Amino acid sequence: MVAVEFAIETNGLTKRYGPLIAVNKLNLKVKTNTIHGFLGPNGAGKTTTIKLLVGLLKPDEGTISIFGQEVVGDRPDVRLRMGYMPELPKFPKHLTGYELLDIYGKMYGLNVQERREQVPRLLEMVGLKDRGNDRIGKYSKGMQQRIGIAQALINNPELVIMDEPSLGLDPVGMVEVREIMNAIVKRGMTVFISSHLLHEVQQVCSHITIINRGITLASDTLENISNQLLGPSTLEVEVTKLTDAIVKNVKKVPFVSSISKEDNKLLIQVEKQEDVRPQVSEAVTKSGGVIVTMNLKERNLEDVFMKLIIKSKGAKTK
Amino acid sequence: MSRSRTSPSRITRFSAVVKYELLWNIRKKKFLGMIVLAFILATLSLVLPVILSNVTNQPLNQNPDYVISTGTGIGGLGFFLFAIVTVMNSISGEFESGTIVPLLTKPVSRTTIFIGKVFAAFLTLFTTYVILTGYLAIGGTIVYGAQNSLHLLPISLMGNILSTFVWIAIVLAIGSISKSSMIAALVTFGIWMGLTIASPIISMFSDQTWILHYVIGSGATGYIEGLGSPNPLIPGMPISTGTDSIATNLINYILYPSANVTFFKIGILGPGSPLLVELYTEALSLVVLRSILVATAYILVFSLISWYAFRRAQVLQ
Repeated sequence: MVAVEFAIETNGLTKRYGPLIAVNKLNLKVKTNTIHGFLGPNGAGKTTTIKLLVGLLKPDEGTISIFGQEVVGDRPDVRLRMGYMPELPKFPKHLTGYELLDIYGKMYGLNVQERREQVPRLLEMVGLKDRGNDRIGKYSKGMQQRIGIAQALINNPELVIMDEPSLGLDPVGMVEVREIMNAIVKRGMTVFISSHLLHEVQQVCSHITIINRGITLASDTLENISNQLLGPSTLEVEVTKLTDAIVKNVKKVPFVSSISKEDNKLLIQVEKQEDVRPQVSEAVTKSGGVIVTMNLKERNLEDVFMKLIIKSKGAKTK
Repeated sequence: MSRSRTSPSRITRFSAVVKYELLWNIRKKKFLGMIVLAFILATLSLVLPVILSNVTNQPLNQNPDYVISTGTGIGGLGFFLFAIVTVMNSISGEFESGTIVPLLTKPVSRTTIFIGKVFAAFLTLFTTYVILTGYLAIGGTIVYGAQNSLHLLPISLMGNILSTFVWIAIVLAIGSISKSSMIAALVTFGIWMGLTIASPIISMFSDQTWILHYVIGSGATGYIEGLGSPNPLIPGMPISTGTDSIATNLINYILYPSANVTFFKIGILGPGSPLLVELYTEALSLVVLRSILVATAYILVFSLISWYAFRRAQVLQ
């Protein structure tokens, strides 16, 4: 099979619900073998976009390609390469966890032997090994979430789409889901994950797309978006006695754009996402200073997210 | 490492859907309740005459035609109820509960899912009717002695399934369009109730009874002259021409291939009224063939509507 650069690619994707435009000319590109976070506030159009990708909704305009194959109409062959975990998944209550995975596995063409190996393995992976023979109707919300992850992986898909996988899980469950996501990307899968938990996305995703009101606000690596939006990061250095020599030498450190003083503290603005702490430390020491504390104020996803959302709201108001 | 998987065969995907649906059908409480009710009624129909015979000290007459005239023991109401409990949730229930979301995102076409669900309904009904017929055949033989024409039971069985499938197609179509099990059940009940009330009235008092030959349900009432009724007021063995009577009419046709059916109305305005007014006579073979064709046409039309609605359905919630 020819390797393709993008697992998901949309061009001008648009979906309307009456007068409301849920997704507005969305151009989304998800590179293969990445964990791509899909972020936006409530009502931004994340779930609608995902439903368009998996064929639950039909677009009003635009195109969708999955691994280079354009998705038009009912395309089981495209879905064969995907696993999908819906937001708050619901499964038939009359089936046991084992039966559910076995039937879904059969739909993907897994033979009996493959299913006998895969189903218990997945049940164990999601922590339902001892509950596999219980009816899903008896499962808690968290357990339904776990079986949702298991069924999304039943066919060892090349692309896994997860809509709010941590929704309804306790903190331990969230950590476990994060570990599962890290494990599956190591197996060569592309993961496209929609989440409102920015901290979670920051920890697991290499790329992100942020949308609001159906419009893409940013799409790139987190680092590139941070650099573009937040400018330089700040390194705060506290010394025993702040001298002019220290300031002069620190200014010479590469990527340092400006310095300001505050009592015995130096506030150093650093261009790009460079870690200049070793060079700064060396410059301070050479100038005869003694460092008490050094704190790099990292730019996080929350800052990026809030800035973009506020900006988009401002643009809308204007 | 994930792997590229060759597309599973249609049969593999189809059998997965059938298993998914069958497990649902046989675990539905309302379906299990309906089976229990059917067996209770079947048991009562066998046991009550025996009890009455013992109470009144009158010997129970042997009836060699009991089994073939009873069949599954299910009539129009039974077909309607079995259709409701088997498929009222099949499509609409998936939308209501949200289970349609994981199902439609599996690599199975919507057409395969639809056909799989219909086939599972067929298997469920077929098995149920076979067991019911077998139960009544054994019970009837014990109670009423050796039975005639038992080799015709499979024909009776298929006739009953065809009759039930008319209602199944209607329930599925309304369910697919409305995506509501309650609406599917209530509208179908309304149709059944309306026809159950209107058909006998039209059949008795109208000159246009032929319309009822093309309507689902009991249809028009005609009489096979020279058979059945010892009552001089009743002109023969009564039969219904609608889609609910396919099994009975098929058996009658095989037993009396040259029989004719005469249709009457009750004249209430003329002199000497009320009196039976003969309308027309037609061959039983025509009545049987027409009811099968009408049932097949309804099944095809409503199934197509249902399939089209299901194929185009979007999952908004």
